[in-house]
Amino acid sequence: MSTQEKIEKMLKKSEVILAAGGEKRIAKQHESGKMTARERIAALLDEGSFVELDRFVRHRCTNFGQEKKELPGEGVTTGYGTIDGRLVYVFAQDFTVEGGSLGEMHAAKIVKVQKLALKMGAPLVGLNDSGGARIQEAIDALAGYGKIFFENTIASGVIPQISAIMGPSAGGAVYSPALTDFIYMVKNTSKMFITGPAVVKSVTGEEVTQEQLGGAMTHNSVSGVAHFAAEDDEDCLKQIRYLLSFLPSNNMEGAPIVETGDDPQRTEESLNTLLPDNSNQSYDMYDVIKAIVDNGEYYENQKYWAKNIITCFARMDGQTVGIIANQPKVMAGCLDINASDKSSRFIRFCDAFNIPLLNLVDVPGFLPGTNQEYGGIIRHGAKMLYAYSEATVPKVTLVTRKAYGGSYLAMCSQDLGADQVIAWPTAEIAVMGPAGAANIIFKKDPDVEQKTKEYIDTFATPYIAAMRGMVDIVIQPKDSRPVIINALQMLESKRETRPAKRHGNIPL
Amino acid sequence: MAKLYTITVNGTAYEVEVAEAGVTAAAPKAAAPKAAPAPAPAPKAAPAPAGANVVSAPMPGKVLSVNVKAGDAVKAGDVLMILEAMKMQNEIMAPADGTVSDVRVSAGSTVNTGDVMIVM
Repeated sequence: MSTQEKIEKMLKKSEVILAAGGEKRIAKQHESGKMTARERIAALLDEGSFVELDRFVRHRCTNFGQEKKELPGEGVTTGYGTIDGRLVYVFAQDFTVEGGSLGEMHAAKIVKVQKLALKMGAPLVGLNDSGGARIQEAIDALAGYGKIFFENTIASGVIPQISAIMGPSAGGAVYSPALTDFIYMVKNTSKMFITGPAVVKSVTGEEVTQEQLGGAMTHNSVSGVAHFAAEDDEDCLKQIRYLLSFLPSNNMEGAPIVETGDDPQRTEESLNTLLPDNSNQSYDMYDVIKAIVDNGEYYENQKYWAKNIITCFARMDGQTVGIIANQPKVMAGCLDINASDKSSRFIRFCDAFNIPLLNLVDVPGFLPGTNQEYGGIIRHGAKMLYAYSEATVPKVTLVTRKAYGGSYLAMCSQDLGADQVIAWPTAEIAVMGPAGAANIIFKKDPDVEQKTKEYIDTFATPYIAAMRGMVDIVIQPKDSRPVIINALQMLESKRETRPAKRHGNIPL
Repeated sequence: MAKLYTITVNGTAYEVEVAEAGVTAAAPKAAAPKAAPAPAPAPKAAPAPAGANVVSAPMPGKVLSVNVKAGDAVKAGDVLMILEAMKMQNEIMAPADGTVSDVRVSAGSTVNTGDVMIVM
């Protein structure tokens, strides 16, 4: 064979694989509102940056006549490229090839990019669209999942791992995304469940549609499994690019500094009048966030779930911060099981990736009730205490209003290692709600009403805490942005170490 | 002959009788779910509307005021009532556009998490 013939042979072999599952199946993929694996990768990465690996990998299954089957690319496209010029590894399952089913070599292709991403310290993006295990390959397929889960876990906290669910993801397949840092789900086309509606019906008798059981909004608003919802494939891939713009490539780097053009000295008069005079009335914490971050721009994590706490990425003077904020407008901003889970995981992500934490506190307490106690609010709430105490990134706490009792500690008081505690004059830092406290102290006093009023005026303030040095600075609300930015700059050289250990034992 | 159906709307089971025109069906009686307060009987001899929105208490507290009554048309986001809970006067808003069909609490009522307060 001449060299020219060899080149032609190579091109021909490539052509077969690039044709994926064939025109018919690709058309069907498009009809169902989905892009193909290669289209998705092209939309995700910088134009022309994709380098494909393992194009010619082939399965070696000989069961049930599989040996005669050609499965182009093994049903998954893998490789690397760049997003905003930064290296990223990617795999995209190809639903047009045997339903994107996962076999031994399909898994091996994924594991290879997982290992490379870890070695190079670059984020890994997984685009999931698979019917599940390739049953013909039996336990070879099962072992494939196991290897992927293992690599996910090893890479956790070293590189950002992002999963997009862009089709079905059922059974064991859900656990690779679940082990990664963030899950995106595309509305209407994505589904995630351990067992599908048919099994649910046969076991429990419940009738439920795929969408109700494991659709994008189910996992975004009910279960808290997913972190972001996307309108379609294109929106999903665009959002992933956006998320990565806030993140460092690995745990040894800082997040990229972006020139946002917003004046770090900008004051915001509207904050001086945002809070109602009656502290039993609510206001919208998003107004505070928008007023203080660069250009009012933020990217919210799990925005449809546990809305009583807000977690989002934003920038302050170009530097990424992770914001954890109570939302007085929803359930009074109290902490409950879901709010604890949501914020603890976000705090730990930020700490793992050198992203400073900004805590906006207006918290009345932990939610009482049997369902909270039976559900284990004690161990869930403990996660917040653990996550904040463990975190060594810069921690800045701004108390806007209520900061009562244990829930204030859970929002990162000075005692849990906040490097700077800032309070508005409206702050009420106290051991419990002042009315309740006065009721206990002056229970038998004939003048209980007057005494309660005096108590509130004295104790429902930032000054008792400030007298003990538990608050570092009391500021006018309008000065929040410059003061916080100054604190973050002061904390840039922060160094804090913890005793050497194998790992802590976070209450789960 | 009237036929008996059980219709579950947002977790509350209603027993309804459905009959062809001309045949009289008994007024529907509400099947009281365990542990939940017995829902008031539906005002009309019609089955509970499918897709009815139930506004239930997000947390334990005391009703401070109710701004709507049965029959009022409301828009999504309208404040239906104020629930004092967790040291806050929480605005309870309409989850969607619709008409209030039943108000099960009044100023002063104490509610627990999940208690149905308003049906619309």
